[in-house]
Amino acid sequence: MATIAATPAHAHESHAHPTGFMSWMSTVDHKRIGTLYLFTALFFFLLGGLEAEIIRMQLQGPNGTLVSAETYNQLFTMHGTTMIFLAIMPLSAAFFNYLIPLQIGARDVAFPRLNAFSYWVYVLGGIFINLSWLLHAAPDGGWFGYAPLTTRAYSPGMNIDFWVLGLQILGVSSLAAGFNFITTIINMRAPGMNLMRMPMFTWAAFVVQFLIVLAFPVITIALVFLMFDRFFGTNFYTTAAGADPLLWQHLFWIFGHPEVYILILPAFGLVSDVLPAHTRKPIFGYPVMVFSLILIAFLGFGVWAHHMFAVGMGPIADTVFGLTTMLIAIPTGVKIFNWIATMHGGSIRFTTACLFCIALVAFFTIGGLSGVMHASPPADLQQTDTYFIVAHFHYVLFGGSMMGLFAGVYHYFPKITGRLLSERIGKWHFWLTAIGMNLTFFPMHMSGLLGMPRRIYRYDAGQGWDGFNLASSIGAYILAVGTLFLVWNIIKSLRSGTRAGNDPWGSPTLEWAIPSPPPEYNFARIPTVTSRYPLWDMKQPALTSEVPHSHRGDKEMEVAVGGKTVGHPHPGPAAQSTRVSESEMHIETETYTPAQVGIVLPDPTVKPFFVALGMVIMLGSPLFMHEAQIREIAGNAAGHRTAMTMFWIFVLGGAALMVGSLYNWLLTPLESDHH
Amino acid sequence: MTATHRPRRRLHAALTAALAFAISACSGDKYPNTIFERHTEFNREVLSIFNTMFFWSALVFVLVEVALLWVLWRYRRREGQPEPKHVHGHTTLEIVWTLIPAVILIFLAVPTVRAIFRTQAKAVPNALQVQVIGHQWWWEFRYPQYGVITANELYLPIGRTVNFELKTADVIHSFWIPRLGGKRDLVSNHTNYLWFTPDSADETAWNGSCNEYCGASHANMRFRAFTVTPAQFEEWTAHQKTPAAFGAVAPATPGQPATQPATTQSATTQTATTQTATTQSTTPVTAASFTGWPADRMPAYTEPTKPIPAGISFNAQPGDPARGQQIYSRSACIGCHMISGNPMSMGQIGPNLTHVGSRLTIGAGLYPNDDQHLALWIKNTRAMKPGSIMPTLGKGEYDPILATTVTSGLTDQEIADIVAYLRALK
Amino acid sequence: MTSVPLTAGHVPDAHDPHATSTGLDNKKIAIWAFIGSECMLFASLISTYLIYKGRSKVGPFPHETWTDPSTGHKFGAILNIPVTSASTFVLLMSSLAMVLALAAVQNKNIPKRTTSERILGSSQLWLLATAALGITFLGFQAYEFTSFVHEGLSIRTNLFGSSFFTLTGFHGAHVTAGVIWLLTLFAIDRKRGLGPRDEVNVDIAALYWHFVDVVWIAIFTLVYLIK
Repeated sequence: MATIAATPAHAHESHAHPTGFMSWMSTVDHKRIGTLYLFTALFFFLLGGLEAEIIRMQLQGPNGTLVSAETYNQLFTMHGTTMIFLAIMPLSAAFFNYLIPLQIGARDVAFPRLNAFSYWVYVLGGIFINLSWLLHAAPDGGWFGYAPLTTRAYSPGMNIDFWVLGLQILGVSSLAAGFNFITTIINMRAPGMNLMRMPMFTWAAFVVQFLIVLAFPVITIALVFLMFDRFFGTNFYTTAAGADPLLWQHLFWIFGHPEVYILILPAFGLVSDVLPAHTRKPIFGYPVMVFSLILIAFLGFGVWAHHMFAVGMGPIADTVFGLTTMLIAIPTGVKIFNWIATMHGGSIRFTTACLFCIALVAFFTIGGLSGVMHASPPADLQQTDTYFIVAHFHYVLFGGSMMGLFAGVYHYFPKITGRLLSERIGKWHFWLTAIGMNLTFFPMHMSGLLGMPRRIYRYDAGQGWDGFNLASSIGAYILAVGTLFLVWNIIKSLRSGTRAGNDPWGSPTLEWAIPSPPPEYNFARIPTVTSRYPLWDMKQPALTSEVPHSHRGDKEMEVAVGGKTVGHPHPGPAAQSTRVSESEMHIETETYTPAQVGIVLPDPTVKPFFVALGMVIMLGSPLFMHEAQIREIAGNAAGHRTAMTMFWIFVLGGAALMVGSLYNWLLTPLESDHH
Repeated sequence: MTATHRPRRRLHAALTAALAFAISACSGDKYPNTIFERHTEFNREVLSIFNTMFFWSALVFVLVEVALLWVLWRYRRREGQPEPKHVHGHTTLEIVWTLIPAVILIFLAVPTVRAIFRTQAKAVPNALQVQVIGHQWWWEFRYPQYGVITANELYLPIGRTVNFELKTADVIHSFWIPRLGGKRDLVSNHTNYLWFTPDSADETAWNGSCNEYCGASHANMRFRAFTVTPAQFEEWTAHQKTPAAFGAVAPATPGQPATQPATTQSATTQTATTQTATTQSTTPVTAASFTGWPADRMPAYTEPTKPIPAGISFNAQPGDPARGQQIYSRSACIGCHMISGNPMSMGQIGPNLTHVGSRLTIGAGLYPNDDQHLALWIKNTRAMKPGSIMPTLGKGEYDPILATTVTSGLTDQEIADIVAYLRALK
Repeated sequence: MTSVPLTAGHVPDAHDPHATSTGLDNKKIAIWAFIGSECMLFASLISTYLIYKGRSKVGPFPHETWTDPSTGHKFGAILNIPVTSASTFVLLMSSLAMVLALAAVQNKNIPKRTTSERILGSSQLWLLATAALGITFLGFQAYEFTSFVHEGLSIRTNLFGSSFFTLTGFHGAHVTAGVIWLLTLFAIDRKRGLGPRDEVNVDIAALYWHFVDVVWIAIFTLVYLIK
């Protein structure tokens, strides 16, 4: 148990972090898992970006012939699937992992080994779904996988099998992480860190976890139906048996619309935390920002059918879903106005992180407004499934989510690695991204309104789309160059970036009170929190006297910096005497071993990896079953038997590995000296 | 009511002025698939909402971005500046900017709801009924009031409301003619409706497309719509009802469904019984003056531009239609295609070919309907159109879906003969 | 290096339930989040069943007889409410046993004097009883499934077959997982005895078990009883 050891606090052995391959495989430290998420997600972001570049090369002019229709369909399906499930969600998860415990003053998440399990399921699921490229059978049904196109009758190949199985695997990862973070935020806040003192990012993360645990089961069931249809001959989407293809659409979008908020709200949270640090002002209207998050999430569950205005639901349903969709504009608009008000009266430092925040405000507004435009069902009938929609959601997901996440990368890179990213390269990255993004996606509004359908691998000349498509493609190439600057920046700064110190930005929240990178145990002493901006209280108590302090737990703020308690928040004689200047904070970067500060950390273990591996093998094994079915139809009895044998070996072997490792995990205490 | 009318009228006047440039810039000459055209009441409804939406969106956009830029400029960090005052919120302000969007939304919601109910009301009873059946990857159009079945080319009389009954034979598709209205999905086990009146349309051709991703050749599932005068429309339907123009055998006995596939359907439609009764004679009608849109009047934007894929060639003497009819009638073609007047050709899976020679495109708007393209199409459809369900027929051709070479297919000369036959089916 | 002022006793410990923000154990919060998620899972399954009810093109049907027009073969109504009522009763009783098992673990340290106190206080007995009743329920389900297949309804037959077997099969899989969980707790109890320290582990198993039970009540009502 993590209690204060009786041994002298400053024992002399100073063993460094283990850094070998096995230390990463077996880590249960939320920070290292967050780092793994970050770099894995950035890798998949590059992969999804590469797919997008090929798409744009194909569409650069009419009658593109770079790739075949089949390959193109695989590319746009995998671009969407990769960006949503393998890049943006895990990038958000990287920040959830890294920041939630630090921001609420905890030593780790509630279930460190479950956290490792989530990561391994994610990375193995991502590998699984991309293995399909090697078989020239990448998913080709669109990220939305509408039945009956995705049923065996119309998609006989393995393409959709990879997609159905891969998405179920990835869903397990998100769900496990969701339970973990909900528990962490509810239950592991430092003393005094009541809900209305939590940093905005933690709030956004909290809301998103509820969206995940409530939305993912629905798509899991939709996918289970599709899987059963494809492998066991059930009739959920078999139209000949009377099935209704709208069942899939409803289930998919009941998940799919909250998924949009799963993608965007973490970026909103990051911006709400990054912006105050770089403008030297607290977030404007914190309670409203929190309630708007909750309201967006709540309304987000009641608008799914606005993706289906063209399917003919009837005027009543169209009216209801159109109006609820419009309502979402209200809490979203409030967020935009409050961000601008946060900057108003501030002292805006145009750091790269801040520029990306500003870009989110500027660009997301465009995506939000075009969103309102197709909230109106009659107008949507002329817009849906055209490039206007592509423009809209790229302004939301690139102009919104990615801008926020890039802001997070620049802001938190020094906390994660101890080194600042280069501002000079960062500016190149920012401006190329901002220009490239608008040049790519703004013309899509035009090509869409001028009649260009989505998901077409070629178009005829003379349709009035050539110029817009050429502009979009040039924009995409600029974006690619901008992204290379990010890669260069990360590689260069990891080696030779400026040392960051505790708090390079003068941020107000707890994660900046500890060294960068933080020690394994995070806080040598768990701080007691008395306001939303503990570090600003400490550094500038006079300025933060307006911060509404809570009625209870109004104790003295004690923040451990490298194990040393510093600071009292309240103005008054005591506060005057212990006021800590910013420069002094930078010096206090002493890191101790856990033993020195008497903290017992969870043991590293590879069991979560093996549980994840077993599960992925088990859930992926139906691929052999399909192969067996093909051979059976071809009259190849021996081949059929071989494939079925492989299926049983994989399904039983995977299950045995999973269950065995799971028992081993659950029956082993988290910390070795538990008693 | 009068009180609300005047500001609305003024607003519309302002909108029209504000958007005049945008809309004229998006006219059909330069942008042949634009949604900014007012030829139908459907598009007028949509455009009116779009204008309202665009007006408010543009207003909010400009205000937000100007405010943002001003704040960025005004409050940029300056040397020697004291730490800014910490402001944590302003309740009144926040209420105000919660309420303003809410009020704007009312301006959007009211016309939206009105337009939803207007556009989804029942079509007028004497509307022209067109059954649209989506197939991977082509369009079947049936005119039950006229007993006409055709594919990929849609004829609409100017000024008459057309009510589309939308169904699909396989996966989900979506029917769209951007300049006239739409779109509406074709959903398995559902029947959807879409109606509009091309009341101020010229005699011209329009592009239509599938807008719901439906598999490999989704991009190649297109069609052409022709708005013609009511008289031309009547002549066209009369011609379409006749059996195949070339070598038509004696008309089939009544009750044989193959040659009169639409009879039963038209009988169920009350409004047009008298109209169809006169044209339902079993003898071929003498050639009407308007048998189809003339190829030389095809606007440039409706002409297919897809180059012939590399690797297929065709080499044969000009074909003989009579020989072509014989080859056709004993080939695999008849399993899928219907030619009214050819009793061997009764297939239901592929497009009806009775008047295929009068069509301007083949392969759902993919290629021009000329000898060369049609020959290559028959020779190796799957190379010409990705994923096509029509098998590869050319002898020695490689079938990209089955991944085999066709050993017992048609020779180039046989294909040339079939082409001559089909091209004769004007 | 200066001395680290950490000798003060009050350092919250994440794994000490009294140090958590709510005072509840982390596992307790997590299981509630999990149950919330499971509600959406079963809501999707049950909705699908109800949406597809009466839309099958061919029989057999849950509550009506059906004659195959091509063969003339007569199919009876598939659902057998008396048998399922019995299995429902068994599952309800298992929840009662689960309550007693949890109480027995909670009151482990209270001395037992009479035989009835000893019986009521035997966590092993009640854990095993819960698992046994769960297995009995699964036996009923296995019987039900085989007899339905025998009567001509498989998961491939029609929309009713697909949605019915998937829904009840998912529930059966949850019961199976619960039985394995309970038997594991029973094995631990036999090996070293479950004490008050393990209370939360039994508590979350009980919450899960009761949830699975409640889901069955919903299924029994919506699928079996409502025609």
